[in-house]
Amino acid sequence: MRDTLSNRAIAAALAASIALPAMIAPALAEDFKGKTLVVGVWGGDIERLLRQNVVGPLEAETGAKVELVLGGTGDRLARIYAEKANPTMDIAFLNIYEAPQALKDGVVEAPDPKSPLYTEIWDGMNNGCYAMSLVGLGIAYNKKLVSSPPEWADMWKPEYKGKIAVAAYPGSEGDGLLGVAARLAGKDEHDADAAFAKVGELKPIALTYTNLDEAFAMMDAGEVAMAPMISGYVLAALKTHPDIGFSFPKSPGPVLVRDMLCLVKNSPNPELAKKFAELALGVKNQTDYAEQLYFGPTNKNVKLPESVSADVIDTPEEVKGLLQMDWPYVITQRSDWTQRWNKEVLGQ
Amino acid sequence: MNGPSSKAVLFLLPAVALSTVVFLLPFGWLVYASFKVQGQGSLLMADGLSVANYMRLVTDSYFAAALWRTVWLSAVSTLLCLVIGLPVARLIATGSGRAKGLLLALMLVPLVCGALLPSLGMIHLLGSLGVVNGTLKMLGLIGGSIKLLGTTGGVILGMVQAFLPLMVLPLVNTLSRLPRDVEAAAASLGASPIRVWRRVILPLAMPGIVAGAVLVFCAGFTAFVTPQVLGQGKIATFGTVAYQQAALVLDWPFASTLAVVVLVAIGLTLILSAQFDRLTKRRRALA
Repeated sequence: MRDTLSNRAIAAALAASIALPAMIAPALAEDFKGKTLVVGVWGGDIERLLRQNVVGPLEAETGAKVELVLGGTGDRLARIYAEKANPTMDIAFLNIYEAPQALKDGVVEAPDPKSPLYTEIWDGMNNGCYAMSLVGLGIAYNKKLVSSPPEWADMWKPEYKGKIAVAAYPGSEGDGLLGVAARLAGKDEHDADAAFAKVGELKPIALTYTNLDEAFAMMDAGEVAMAPMISGYVLAALKTHPDIGFSFPKSPGPVLVRDMLCLVKNSPNPELAKKFAELALGVKNQTDYAEQLYFGPTNKNVKLPESVSADVIDTPEEVKGLLQMDWPYVITQRSDWTQRWNKEVLGQ
Repeated sequence: MNGPSSKAVLFLLPAVALSTVVFLLPFGWLVYASFKVQGQGSLLMADGLSVANYMRLVTDSYFAAALWRTVWLSAVSTLLCLVIGLPVARLIATGSGRAKGLLLALMLVPLVCGALLPSLGMIHLLGSLGVVNGTLKMLGLIGGSIKLLGTTGGVILGMVQAFLPLMVLPLVNTLSRLPRDVEAAAASLGASPIRVWRRVILPLAMPGIVAGAVLVFCAGFTAFVTPQVLGQGKIATFGTVAYQQAALVLDWPFASTLAVVVLVAIGLTLILSAQFDRLTKRRRALA
């Protein structure tokens, strides 16, 4: 009897000794060991900040691995659509115009209005997915060729003919330019004929750029005077390009562009994905985004120093001054507009 | 008779199985997808089959123009490869020792390093701020940059660079099998070197020329990286349009349609070249 008791006691003690550390240490560490969270995101500075503020802490806390799949949004949008029945990606960072479409097609989770992720973000921003950062389409310009910060209409002045660069289409820069051009013609993006006619007046396009370095090199060489560009990276890059400036035009205002964080529907690691999202949308990461990349925060709790705040879209009031396009409509036009852009802007 | 052929079938089985899994099945799916369309306001395929994509391809002149552009870009590249490749192939075929090995190795470099790396390198050569423009500006020959990237000329240059080995290798193969005394005989009968080339070498090299031309043409027709990188989005070929539709617009059914058209065109090219080959063989047999 005593033997059995002591055996039992030993067994209990053994069980406790195994279970206790697991209970004391974060229970999660055991749950997520061996799991890999797959995140589709842009490379460069964004990757650097995410590794530092999100991937590192998340891996330390959970024991899981985080794999960042770098590239443009088209790559990951294609991937989550192709894998709809059997997703392997957990989080995809998308553009504002892609997120609502992805939600409509059921490839991403709808933002949960009750989650802290949702409530910490400004009202009206979580459109399709969770809003990650705010930037505006403005004009990068060569200060030697353009004397003062230009307005949109200045791009159409005869002295700059053949010296305007545009980003590769489809993309938010091109769509934003179409929206602006349509408004300059007294219409809006719903009138594609007006938009394309106006953008077509910019021909010949000096350069279709796929990366900023390419565009800045041409701008520094004086072969490009102006290019519609999205604030953020551009502002961060200006430090090394003293002859290039960036203008937030007034009429119409800069086009609001939002990066969205999307939780892929039926993804393999939904809990890990939520933890990633909390860190990514959290105050620390969004503050670094603003201070280092000039990406405006969407988290209500982020407080920025005055000097940073000036270059960053960081208040709901500021957002009101921006040009908000009908992105869900724009994406339904993507196929047609791509073809029209090829034909009418690039002259193919 | 039965023995060897059934053995041959056995040997072919792994290859057939592999190509069924990795080529025929996906290709079948591609053909199927080309008859689908996306739902209204959706990027997902809708139910039902339709020929809408093919109608769009036929009725929209943009795609006909891209098709035509792709054909002539490939044709011009093929011609240039032939003109540049013939002397090189002849040098390799008749050369000996280290020079021959070196030339052959140089010829193979573009094949080994793929399309992307040389194309990216050429950006630095041809770009507005690249080596060519920089040199011309330094010499005071031009004021502003001349456009080399984003032009058909630039794309052709890139394609010729990339696909030259596809022309040279079959040519070397046929040219090195030509008996040298045939040329000597022609020359001793008073044929000038040009005449020897025209009447003796070229006709005998025809199988190599056809093989090389077909390879270069098909490679050019399906090329994506070179026109995409060197064309800078301004030169729409079938490859770049299909990429745009598949990866950027995400209209996969329509992209599938474009791919099917490319594959059919290549199939036709191969059939034509086989016919041509048979014709020349028959003519030679008659002569």
